[in-house]
Amino acid sequence: MKLKRYSWLPLLPFFLFTGYFLLWPILGVTLKSFHNNAGEWSLSNYTPLISGAYRHAFATSIRLSIITSVISSVLGAFFTLVIVKNAGSRLTSIIESIAAVFANSGGVPLAFMYIAAFGAEGMFTKILKFFGWNIYAGRFTLFSFTGVVLVYTFFMTPLMVIVFRPAILGLRKEWSEASLNLGANTLTYWRRVAIPILTPSFIGSFFLLFAGAFSAYATARALTVGTVPLVPIIIGTLVDGNVISDQANLGDALAVGMIVVAGVAMIGYIWAQRSAAKWRQS
Amino acid sequence: MKIGRYSLNAFTIFLAGTIFFLPLLAAAEFSFRKPGGKGHSFTNYSWLLQQEGFLPALGTSLRLAVLSGALNLILMVPTMVVLNLKAKRYKSIVDFICILPLIIPVVSLAIGAQVSMPEFLQNTEYELVFFFVIVALPYTYRALDSAISAVDIKVLVEASRSLGATWFATIIKVIIPAIRSGIIGSLFLSFALAIGEFTLTSLLHWDTFPTWTVVAAQQNILGAIAISVFSFALAIFALTLVGILAARKKNQNLVLENEEVE
Amino acid sequence: MAKQRASSTLKLENVTRSFGTTVALDGLNLTVQPGELVALLGPSGCGKTTALRIVAGLETADSGSLLVNDVRYNDTAVNDRDMGMVFQAYSLFPNMTVAENIDYGLRARKMDLPKRMKQVRKMLQLVDLEEKSTRYPHQLSGGQQQRVALARALAIEPTVLLLDEPLSALDAQVRSQIREEIRAIQLELGITTLFVTHDQEEAMAIADRVGVMNKGKLEQIDKPTVLYNEPATPFVASFVGQANRLPATITGKGNVKVLHQKISLSRHSTDLRDGLPVEALIRPESITLTTENDDEATQGLLVSKSFLGPLTKLGVALEGLPIIHINSQSKDVKSLEIGDRISFKIVADEIMAQNV
Repeated sequence: MKLKRYSWLPLLPFFLFTGYFLLWPILGVTLKSFHNNAGEWSLSNYTPLISGAYRHAFATSIRLSIITSVISSVLGAFFTLVIVKNAGSRLTSIIESIAAVFANSGGVPLAFMYIAAFGAEGMFTKILKFFGWNIYAGRFTLFSFTGVVLVYTFFMTPLMVIVFRPAILGLRKEWSEASLNLGANTLTYWRRVAIPILTPSFIGSFFLLFAGAFSAYATARALTVGTVPLVPIIIGTLVDGNVISDQANLGDALAVGMIVVAGVAMIGYIWAQRSAAKWRQS
Repeated sequence: MKIGRYSLNAFTIFLAGTIFFLPLLAAAEFSFRKPGGKGHSFTNYSWLLQQEGFLPALGTSLRLAVLSGALNLILMVPTMVVLNLKAKRYKSIVDFICILPLIIPVVSLAIGAQVSMPEFLQNTEYELVFFFVIVALPYTYRALDSAISAVDIKVLVEASRSLGATWFATIIKVIIPAIRSGIIGSLFLSFALAIGEFTLTSLLHWDTFPTWTVVAAQQNILGAIAISVFSFALAIFALTLVGILAARKKNQNLVLENEEVE
Repeated sequence: MAKQRASSTLKLENVTRSFGTTVALDGLNLTVQPGELVALLGPSGCGKTTALRIVAGLETADSGSLLVNDVRYNDTAVNDRDMGMVFQAYSLFPNMTVAENIDYGLRARKMDLPKRMKQVRKMLQLVDLEEKSTRYPHQLSGGQQQRVALARALAIEPTVLLLDEPLSALDAQVRSQIREEIRAIQLELGITTLFVTHDQEEAMAIADRVGVMNKGKLEQIDKPTVLYNEPATPFVASFVGQANRLPATITGKGNVKVLHQKISLSRHSTDLRDGLPVEALIRPESITLTTENDDEATQGLLVSKSFLGPLTKLGVALEGLPIIHINSQSKDVKSLEIGDRISFKIVADEIMAQNV
């Protein structure tokens, strides 16, 4: 097998492509963020991040991501279970592709559809009003933090269905049957077998959702027009040149800051993946 | 216990319907409202077609989507086949790279692109194609990988080669038909993603369908909603079609399996 | 170790089950005596697994009764049945150690801890895995996993032990070893056992009685030797052991003409009419080599010869017939070479035939 040494060769295009269009830009922005306006090495771009508005933006983004990921991962896990248990293969694949559309629609159409449904004149708002709940009685608007949570949940729950489905499919029929056969009830099976087995995958999916929510831009941009201070939105306005900053590379530092937060989520994801693989046969 | 389970399922389906489909319906209803007045009409949809930017923006998006779908296949199909056939030990690294776009914020990638890409590339909207392929990687990787792992590709290739087929014939007549569902799925996913991509496009200052929509919304929110409903419905229709095509293949396998099962 | 408890009788009466239009069980009657090991043998799709799952309560019968010690069990919930089941493979809970797996059923029964620990230790001893008690399933070999699965099923002191192809995922060598262990433990505990398999050698080796199933029905159930020597139906004859299928004719008076010989027809093949072309089923060991001048002899060309220790398998080609397999003593055929012309004849008191 003298060819084995060169087995990576056909993979070269892939490595070159991802290296140039994924890793190289990330490396570039990282290096630039450590340079000041004069092009010297410096940490000055990072000083604004430690306090004030930018720190607040990071806090808001992280809080939003945690809340939406918790809601979406729980809801999504629930839906996945029902889908996997009940749907035939054709229905499952249809549901899956619908989920893919919803998950990928974390974008502009979604924001406008929510405005249509939950806006002051929206049908949903009217239905809820009919049942005696005026969602606009308090301070709620779709353009607020709560509004963003609502919209994010809409595209992150289907994402959960997509990433969590393999874990649920990995639950072998033999386990529940053996559990019943040994005299345990369904609740015991879930408590002692299924939930412990699913937990690492669930945590991993949670981190993936967190990263997704944290970096989402389009929905918030179209919906809030800057009313909720999220890091991606601030970077967007810096790039658009709407804000005059005396630090040209501040946006780069913010971008790197986002990578760092996402990196922490990734470490969590990898750790969880490892734990999930621990019990896998062979 | 049976009743409990049924009502739980019913509740879940109801919940999913409420969360996901009612907003869709609500938006659809909204998009047919007459501007300013009562009643419903196609006014908002016809307004769309009269807008000058609408068709060019849609055209740009379609063009970019077709190109990124094609580039995605050219890059990923050989990579995934080789990976599963000859270079299994590189699988974990490729797997890792393909999950990165889900984790690295697209905003950061966009800033990085402005820093690192050469001038000539930044001057053309086709630079987006490369990044659309990157952003679609997590999905296309999954689609292709699950299709390839479902068939024993090694045995297929060895059988084909030992019967005297050339590599070219093996790829065209054996591999591609065997992983057809994965190819269709990956193609549509990358296509749909490219059509709807907003973050990179907007931060790199290009005009496509989604960015045009945001600008149009400032003039006519009803029109923007109409666009959204239209594109959503289109995406669901297309992907359901893919789902059915892919499932038909699966069902054939299922029949064979059922004969084994008692 | 003494017998754990008085053994139970397991009885299925006229059990039917269909999945859509496929009939999995078509009126199955089966009795397993106390302490007996019955193997259900058949090709895939014959309904044997469905039968086992109905006993376990994992499937429900459309009609018919399931009785344990003459008590109707049809409507007893799965988790109240007290039946130990061993699955094909991968049924151990992957998140639990060997000891925790064995303990699972005991804990579900809310036994107190000292009793549970004692029982787990006893079971670990029984399957000889005491030193692996803190290992996880993925750290064990396939054979060890199945031994744990057996220990887990036996820990609850079940009324009936159900084995669903427990050896099919194992390597050939381990398979026969575990098979013997299962049989030894079953005999030691004297537990009523139903064993499902598609492997006839396995069924013959382990069971007191083997039930051959075909199309949802029991074709024959008897001791392995009886099944082999006196198959009740052509299906059993061809499924259990090997058989050459040779064209033959019924000649009347209960005789059948095959090759150049006339032999009496087995009493089980009575529904065949005279003069009819049929197919005779002849075991490879019922054919012996003879000399050319024997007037019952048939000549053929030796085309294959495989040495299997004491036995050698010969393949003989005749014009217009499938290859005929002959099992001979190795010492008798040492000098034969492929390409030789050889003479042989059937030596059997009676043979079985079926309509073509």
